[in-house]
Amino acid sequence: MKNFTEHQRLWFYRVLSLLVTALLAHLLAVWAAPRAIMYVLMHGPMAQKMNMHNQAAFPEAVTAKSRTVVMPSPDMLYSVCAFDLHDGPVRVQAAPTLTNYWSIALYAANSDNFFVRNDRQTQGRAVDLWLVAASPTKAQKPVPAGAEVVVSPTLTGFLLMRVLTTDYQAEKAVLEPARRTLQCGQG
Amino acid sequence: MSKTGHWSLRAKRIAIGGALYVGAVVLGLGSAWWVLKKAPWLNPSVEVGAWRANMHAGSQDAGLYTRATIAVNALLALGRDETMYFVANRDDAGEALRAQCNYRITGVPPQARWWSITAYAQDLFLFDAPNGHYSLNGSNATLDAAGTFALSTGPAEQAGTYWLPTSGPGALVLTLRLYNPAPALQAAPQSLVAPAVQKIGTCA
Repeated sequence: MKNFTEHQRLWFYRVLSLLVTALLAHLLAVWAAPRAIMYVLMHGPMAQKMNMHNQAAFPEAVTAKSRTVVMPSPDMLYSVCAFDLHDGPVRVQAAPTLTNYWSIALYAANSDNFFVRNDRQTQGRAVDLWLVAASPTKAQKPVPAGAEVVVSPTLTGFLLMRVLTTDYQAEKAVLEPARRTLQCGQG
Repeated sequence: MSKTGHWSLRAKRIAIGGALYVGAVVLGLGSAWWVLKKAPWLNPSVEVGAWRANMHAGSQDAGLYTRATIAVNALLALGRDETMYFVANRDDAGEALRAQCNYRITGVPPQARWWSITAYAQDLFLFDAPNGHYSLNGSNATLDAAGTFALSTGPAEQAGTYWLPTSGPGALVLTLRLYNPAPALQAAPQSLVAPAVQKIGTCA
């Protein structure tokens, strides 16, 4: 920089600051995208309509009209819950006695899948989890002794239960009661 | 220079500087949108035939770009222990898949408890399928004597295959899902026997 004039040096720093601004905007957008998408999923119009805040909700079977979450699987019947640990642990229970694949997956507010439990892992037993926050909250409530505890990395997140359906209309009478065993609420 | 002229020049400089910084922010946001939406498969960790996958999808180990890419294009993906996702947006010849073209996809059932191949439109939602066929999967696939399945996508039905109707002028995205993949496949995803994706005839 020694051979540059004051004027050239000024322009160098101006261009540099513009490039740094563009880079920061780029990185901020990439960082924020999953969090913003998850926020809309958990608090947006669909979430409001389905009343899924600390409560299980049961969307209709996937068709071409399903346009809430990209790449929906037409072979899965979804059940959902937007969990919120601000007021204490959330208890998740389900007992879908099905022979085909099903799973319960938990996602952090940044979209990471931090827990999954499928039918093979339960070996026929009911799912009964206590979801607690990794960091202390204002309303720390105790979890019953002996309960299975899952620590969520974030205070809010999303539960997605998948139930395999090869022919929904034919299996509806079995699948609907099975997935509606899902409960998700303040313990 | 008069006092008025001095302030006028100063205001002009501030306006140009502000515009440049707004431009820089727009450039940053635009490039992020391009990377995540228009070129989401730039950083696959596995490529097998026409299929690509990122083995960190859904994982807490996912990097900044993988996490954002998955959130934008395949929200709520599961980790590879539970499900592996392979995506194809090009055929075996390297040409971009298009909804108005007809394709034949053949392969052997992957090493997984259950699998499916689904056709998605450019917006990553399902095509309107009048026949109700959205995916070929481990439950509805018919295997020939050699143990091979065959499906077709496109505006026209192909004889002897399971037809997933596609329509419109946009892109076609195929997704291969493997639920509870075999441990050997989890350990070596590149060992997947990739379904062949071939264009048939001319496009509509």
